[in-house]
Amino acid sequence: MKHIVKHLPHYLSLLGIFVVGFLGFLIFSYDKGFQIAILASIAISYVAWGIIHHHIHKDLYLAVVIEYIAVAILGFVIVFSIVFQG
Amino acid sequence: MFVIETLIHYLIPHPSNNHKAKLLHSSSLLIIASLLLFFQLTLYLLPKTGIKILGYASRISVDEIVRLTNEKRAQAGLSPVEFNPSLSTAAKAKGDDMLAKDYWAHVAPDGTQPWKFFTDAGYKYRYAGENLARDFSDASTAVEAWMASPTHRDNVLSSKYKDIGIAVVEGDLAGVDTTIIVELFGTQQADTLPPAPIAQQGLTTQVAATPLATSPVVIPTASPTVIPASPTPLPTLVAVLQQAIASPIPSMIPSVLISPFQTTRGISLFVVGFLMLVLILDGLIVSRRRIARIAGRTFAHLSFLGMILAIALILRAGKIL
Repeated sequence: MKHIVKHLPHYLSLLGIFVVGFLGFLIFSYDKGFQIAILASIAISYVAWGIIHHHIHKDLYLAVVIEYIAVAILGFVIVFSIVFQG
Repeated sequence: MFVIETLIHYLIPHPSNNHKAKLLHSSSLLIIASLLLFFQLTLYLLPKTGIKILGYASRISVDEIVRLTNEKRAQAGLSPVEFNPSLSTAAKAKGDDMLAKDYWAHVAPDGTQPWKFFTDAGYKYRYAGENLARDFSDASTAVEAWMASPTHRDNVLSSKYKDIGIAVVEGDLAGVDTTIIVELFGTQQADTLPPAPIAQQGLTTQVAATPLATSPVVIPTASPTVIPASPTPLPTLVAVLQQAIASPIPSMIPSVLISPFQTTRGISLFVVGFLMLVLILDGLIVSRRRIARIAGRTFAHLSFLGMILAIALILRAGKIL
């Protein structure tokens, strides 16, 4: 928790990305193609945030990058599947 | 003992998993993503094998769609559209055509334009529009989806239209039991014609090229043909009753074995929820034991998965066109 408070601007920017993405899904509920584009943008932004954040903290390793990519891919696949079936 | 050790290995930071729940390792996450993709592939290929167990349950009432449409129009300060049996016949024909030819589009694969169904049903339109929806669970969500889309909303809230025709057809579309809503709007020539003869109605190629959810304003042709200004004959009571019997108007509750949407969403919610629980547990243990490890930020992962969970919860079944 101390870490989060100490680097609040980092985490606020991350939450900002997610809030904008969520609102995008709400606003463009009628356009599934655009929703997928929003989802891809969020996932890429998330990985980019992870890389920048860990780079600033000087603990950026390949394993960490792969972890962010894996989480992003999983999230993308989950929402894509629901949108596809909807 | 083996079961407990396995559970600890997969769910709790431990020396056996390099102090990180095995389920949260990148390899595990990618395996889960691959399994979800494989499941989707199975759902996609299942109808092609001839096994037809997929479908969307729905409870769609034509009256409800008309009521909701007029409610939206009233909110916009517009006069209500009237239920027109000829337009409903056209809508039913369009819906049946989509099921028969197995397509989901405004224009049929053979090039049949949506406006053909208007004229075939004896509805001589001055203005016409078409909204399509499928896989919605009820009328309300379908109308709300149309209202969320600017082009479909334009149809619902167009002051040009005086009539509405609805058909709810249920059948097999691409191997999946589907409920399609066809909503047609129109204004008959007789309602707008001046006393003097006017040009023959007809769709120009420009209109035909972009018929999607638009209102094709009839453009006079270069060589106008005089047509009578007499109103379209009113349908007889028998015809209206036949229409009512032929159309599944009141409501439809098809028997469905597996809903692809609900199944996918259920599995997704479980996966995300479970991973979030494991992440919280992992984060708490690592924090309490002060374990130093090379890994991503638990809070960042939790936030991302939380957003995925929120999106999964707001998504609803149904497509509009």
